[in-house]
Amino acid sequence: MNRSVVGALVLKDWRLQRPSILFSSAVGALSLGMSYFKGEVPFVLGGVWFFVSIIVLGCMLPVANVVNERKKQNLAFVMSLPVSAMQYTTSKVISTFGMFLIPWLALLAAALMVILGGHVIPHSIIPTVFVLEGFVLMGFCLIAGAAIAGENEAWPMTATLVCNSSYGVGFYLFGRIPEIQHDWASPAAIWSPIIQRLLIIEVAVVLLIIGLTFFIQSRKRDFV
Amino acid sequence: MTDLAIDLQGVGKTYRYFALENIRLQVPAGTIMGLIGPNGAGKSTTIRILMGLIHQERGEVRVLGHRMPAEQVAAKWDIGFASEDMRLYDSLTLAWHMNFIASIYPKWDAAYAQLLLKRFGLHAEQKIKGLSHGQRVKAVLLLILARRPKLLVLDEPTTGLDPVARHEVLRELTDVMADEDRSILFSSHNTQDVEQISDRITFIDRGRIIDSMDKEAYMDRWRRLRLEIPAGIEVPALPGVIGIKRSGRLAVAIANEFAPDLANAYETSGARVHAVENMTLEEIFVANVEHSREEVNS
Amino acid sequence: MNGDFVISQSDKRPMYFQIMEQIKQRIAVGDWTEGQTIPSIRQLAVDLQVSVITVKRAYLELEREGVIVTHQGKGSQVAANSDLGARMREQELEQHLEQAARIGTQLGLRSKDLERRLRATCERLAETKEEFA
Repeated sequence: MNRSVVGALVLKDWRLQRPSILFSSAVGALSLGMSYFKGEVPFVLGGVWFFVSIIVLGCMLPVANVVNERKKQNLAFVMSLPVSAMQYTTSKVISTFGMFLIPWLALLAAALMVILGGHVIPHSIIPTVFVLEGFVLMGFCLIAGAAIAGENEAWPMTATLVCNSSYGVGFYLFGRIPEIQHDWASPAAIWSPIIQRLLIIEVAVVLLIIGLTFFIQSRKRDFV
Repeated sequence: MTDLAIDLQGVGKTYRYFALENIRLQVPAGTIMGLIGPNGAGKSTTIRILMGLIHQERGEVRVLGHRMPAEQVAAKWDIGFASEDMRLYDSLTLAWHMNFIASIYPKWDAAYAQLLLKRFGLHAEQKIKGLSHGQRVKAVLLLILARRPKLLVLDEPTTGLDPVARHEVLRELTDVMADEDRSILFSSHNTQDVEQISDRITFIDRGRIIDSMDKEAYMDRWRRLRLEIPAGIEVPALPGVIGIKRSGRLAVAIANEFAPDLANAYETSGARVHAVENMTLEEIFVANVEHSREEVNS
Repeated sequence: MNGDFVISQSDKRPMYFQIMEQIKQRIAVGDWTEGQTIPSIRQLAVDLQVSVITVKRAYLELEREGVIVTHQGKGSQVAANSDLGARMREQELEQHLEQAARIGTQLGLRSKDLERRLRATCERLAETKEEFA
């Protein structure tokens, strides 16, 4: 009986966030479109805007979807429905991640298409793209978890600061790994052990953050 | 014998600057309970505890037979909750909210919802952000009333409403009474409303219940006696009288346990009783709170 | 049938009392006849927008005064003795007259003075066209 309430809540979140999702997805798609143009400048610009659009979405979505509900005093309305705190958390995790993952996956797919379809960019960049996108996903997880478990803007804002300052460092450090640099030189994609390890770590971190979020929520005694 | 729609026993919760102590509250099915008390007394906290939104630290809470907060989902299927600090989604329309609720609750009565729209003077296609305060309050009530819940828990339902809107709301609330299985608990500063429609009244102040009883019996216990005390006469402190205010030869005594022979007792002691007056709930409220605070301090 | 009850919160008398008054009025005037079924407690409460317990009290007092009778499961009817309403008013008048006499004595008035005062009051009320004091 209650899966439908959680479902109704997820649909409600989508309905509310629809405008922003569509907008950022459009910006991301346009950025990718730019990469099709010949020349290094459009390629770099397109790539940068592409990542930026995902990152901005990742920072803004948890706040818009989670924190605002509490700030605008909609939470009491939601909790008056036949739903428990845990079910509410589930709906929030599903909707926040779902709304992020759809554009994230779409843009990942589009990036792959550009690389595989056009013959400008070497395929060796593909594992890198996966790792970097995973990076952004981890960052998003942290922000979303902070927004759900924390009770005000301070938490996701802090997480956002941490993540945004880490992306640059992370990308840089990643690029300095000798094997990675070496593998870029090849024309084909190489799924080296390092790449595999990094991807596994990223998935584990995502699951850990989600688990931690649920745990913190279950300990709360004053929900509204 | 009667089922209890709400049953709080020994409920307590401690915060840094405020504590709810030993709350005992019972609402029999088919009755309306009015909860009154000053700001910060603990009305909203008590209401949130019985909705399972806040977990009590001590005591037992049962609502419609369900233990709270453990069984809050089961309970909330049959409860309609509205609080003063609750908001609908500004960017969406009232119609969206109605569909949202209808998609969740099987008991949604679409015909009644349409009737309420008309009675409340609301437009379904209007966005929530375009509504005035009174219209928002009525919108929330519409969403609750149209699914005919067994229990209504309302935190300040008529606060901030103009007289016409208040009348519209009270009419719908009293209509709920026609079904003797349905109950209402509402908190209000508006003592007139509480006096008018409550079957039982509970007084809360500084985290404690001061009084909880049948409204008629309660109002009957309180009287204001207007006395004339001639010079040289000392009036004794009589049982059931909580205070006397004198100005010159005139005095006003407030009794919270009035008995008919109280007037005679005064006459016997030499004072003249000019009038024995009923008190409004607002006057009782103020006198009661002042009295109970004096007692705590002494 | 019930829509024309008017309960005022600014009236100094308690609500249950006003309800009793208006029921007795209807009986005294003949609008409600003996044996007639009157609205159930809950129904009247809903119509008047007052609490059930207030109407319950009014009905209990009316029953105690013999104005109505309640049968379990069959609701309430106007009591058989039709001039009960009038008798109640008689009793009320007696009480008021006694009180007037008592206060008059306290003020040092003689019965002739009291009579004069009563007549003057009646004339004044007739002027202001109040039918029921």
